[in-house]
Amino acid sequence: MNILGISGHYHDSAAALVIDGVPVAAVQEERLSRHKNDAGFPLAAIEWCLDHAGLSPDDLDAVIFYEKPTLKFDRVLTGMLQGWPGSWRGYPKAMKNMLGEKLWVRGLIASQLGISARKVRCIEHHQSHAAAAFLTAPTQEAAIITADGVGEWATFTVGTGHKRADGSTDIRILRELRFPHSLGLFYSAVTSYLGFTVNEGEYKVMGLASYGRPTWIEAMRKLLRPTGDGAFALDLRYFDFLGKVESGYSERFVALFGPPRKNWQPIDLKSPEGQRFADIAASAQALLEEVMVGIAARLRNETGISDLCLGGGVALNGVANARILREAGFDRLFVPSAPGDAGCALGAALYADRILFGQPHKPVPDHPYWGPQPDEAALLRIAQEDDIPAIVSGSAIEEVADALAVGKVVGWVDGALEYGPRALGHRSILAAPHDVAMRDRLNRDIKYREEFRPFAPVVAAEHADLFFELPPGGARLARFMSGVVPVRPEWRDRLAGITHVDGTARVQVLDREMEPRLHALLEAYGRRTEVPVLLNTSFNLAGEPIVNTVAEAYSTFRRCGIDLLVAGNVCVTKPRVVRAQILENVA
Amino acid sequence: MILWPVHRLIWSDPQRRARKLLEFAEVEASGGRDLVRAAELTNDPVLRQRYLVHARDEARHADMFQARGRQLRKETAGEGKEGLADWMAPGERGIDGLDLTRESDADLLAFLHLSESTAARDFARYARVVKGDPATRILFQRILADEDEHRAYTHDELRRVARRRSGRVLWWARLRRLWKAYLRFATAFAGVMAGLILTLQYFVLLPPFAVLARRNARKEKTGWVAVGEEKVR
Repeated sequence: MNILGISGHYHDSAAALVIDGVPVAAVQEERLSRHKNDAGFPLAAIEWCLDHAGLSPDDLDAVIFYEKPTLKFDRVLTGMLQGWPGSWRGYPKAMKNMLGEKLWVRGLIASQLGISARKVRCIEHHQSHAAAAFLTAPTQEAAIITADGVGEWATFTVGTGHKRADGSTDIRILRELRFPHSLGLFYSAVTSYLGFTVNEGEYKVMGLASYGRPTWIEAMRKLLRPTGDGAFALDLRYFDFLGKVESGYSERFVALFGPPRKNWQPIDLKSPEGQRFADIAASAQALLEEVMVGIAARLRNETGISDLCLGGGVALNGVANARILREAGFDRLFVPSAPGDAGCALGAALYADRILFGQPHKPVPDHPYWGPQPDEAALLRIAQEDDIPAIVSGSAIEEVADALAVGKVVGWVDGALEYGPRALGHRSILAAPHDVAMRDRLNRDIKYREEFRPFAPVVAAEHADLFFELPPGGARLARFMSGVVPVRPEWRDRLAGITHVDGTARVQVLDREMEPRLHALLEAYGRRTEVPVLLNTSFNLAGEPIVNTVAEAYSTFRRCGIDLLVAGNVCVTKPRVVRAQILENVA
Repeated sequence: MILWPVHRLIWSDPQRRARKLLEFAEVEASGGRDLVRAAELTNDPVLRQRYLVHARDEARHADMFQARGRQLRKETAGEGKEGLADWMAPGERGIDGLDLTRESDADLLAFLHLSESTAARDFARYARVVKGDPATRILFQRILADEDEHRAYTHDELRRVARRRSGRVLWWARLRRLWKAYLRFATAFAGVMAGLILTLQYFVLLPPFAVLARRNARKEKTGWVAVGEEKVR
């Protein structure tokens, strides 16, 4: 069967194609449209998936949308009615939004693809998340938790999944929490309060949290209190999800925590105000972890299952993930490379294949590389046209290792684009991880971002335990950079560029089989420095999506302080004059 | 000249001025990203270089507008209201929401040229009306010099790329800009109308349903909701 999964219309649209039970293509719309977090209908992603597989829309047996628009409309309208008359500002916007396009998604998909609407089906948002987490994980039986802002009604679900020897599969959602009681919305309100963009800046809150102490935790507990059945409820007096859709917090929230940070205000961690923001971030983070660990531990006891699959936007919180793995009693924790809404495209397609159409389960290749391949020859052509030194090297890996060892920053493009928000070695900026100066240089000259945000390392799997304190099952969690773990104290000085202020790092543990070339580069770098660890950050500039094509990599290379651009065996070096121009511009 | 008092009014208030500058920063940053995209898509090496340099200028302008806007905000300690209806915002419009993957080099250059000309005219006007704020006036004047340069290079490149067709391409681009301006206006107008009708509906039709919804909400318990069999597969 040929099944296309689609997610979109909220944030981070994507498409994924499953043929005979196995994914063949998946890509986020933003990587093709070049608009970060593109929420539009993912037409370019769909076209690419179909072209990649050599299919036309008529060849599709089903198209699955990742949520049920009518249920979502029900929630939006009910919320507006319950909030009457305070929701009057949000009502016109919400109705225009829903009635304009979102409610008619089946017709929209059918007309865009030129197929019968009968082929288009919708499944629930959290079913898509659960499927993305469980059906892609190499496990036969798992407890499942999904948590995000909100889908239709559900904001948090727990359940189980089984893949049986006869090929049958089930995903059983046991219970759910419903809007407005949402851990994701709680964290988003704090994100907004701290002056970051909702659905974009949550990871900044996590980074900022490390600079603070949870001194506001008791105040936070007023916002989010436990219910008698092991769940939680928000005190809605502190939130305003209907009137102030963009911010989500109320005046009472401000009265409790003080004035919010304005988005144009820099965070000065040396000032009392900056420290207050860091402490609030730390408190929200601590409470989120506490809730997640508590629910996960109860689910472990209830199901007796030793594996946990985690999906939804909250699963991007690597600090919480690592704590769940350490404290909730599970042996293994699986977080897919795209646990957020983009990943729902693949989840929806797999759910339809295994469960709606009852096809036997087939193992899903355990990697995140489902997107377009780069064209090395195009890079060579562009560089030559621009008189930028470029060579085709038979020993590119050794040359890159040499460059990294002397402190060069490398743009690394290799193989199919990653599916999900992390650069996992195919569209990465790589650098030496040893000193703080490199981190500061990357923040200042290349990524142009806040100084409090850490950089992640990548380490060859064989050496991961030497440098990082991985809990049991930690290597699995770190496969897609989904967990934050301590750097071993004796290595923190030599890994200062990737060690966060609290001594941790969001490490990617790389298996040779998953990405042999990057693994070979790590080995080559290790031979030179005795530390087979590299700083690995996404290949993009602030405000832009991760690069896809070599032309995008090249333009990024030209606009920032990257010294060397590598695509396969093509190496492009930045001439001194261009480097000087960039530095002058930065200054 | 007719709009002179309007501009004076808009720019006289420091908080509004700060907001406008921050909006300009966003427009310039967005225009810069569009130019980067254009550089990535063109097969013409000369244009690629030009676009990258132009994008760098736009990014620099964005930083300058942002710095001044933030400074003004700090000085006035005002929060300001966020955003204006799109059709009311003056100034440069990046590349006018073009789908860059579908535009020829000549069409894109024509759009850029017109866009830069408009921006140069607007910025010159703003520089005149912010006489009481020398820092902002100097900012506009500095950016104006770049805009003039952009206007000139886009025209030269258009003549190189389109040769004798350049005049026709420019007129076509003017018409398309006009059409887009109409669409923007129509969309904004429709948005305002829809907003009014929906607000009216909200206060006239919804109250009885709101009472029912609130009554039901009171009955809802918090905590876990068991999921029905329909979700068990």
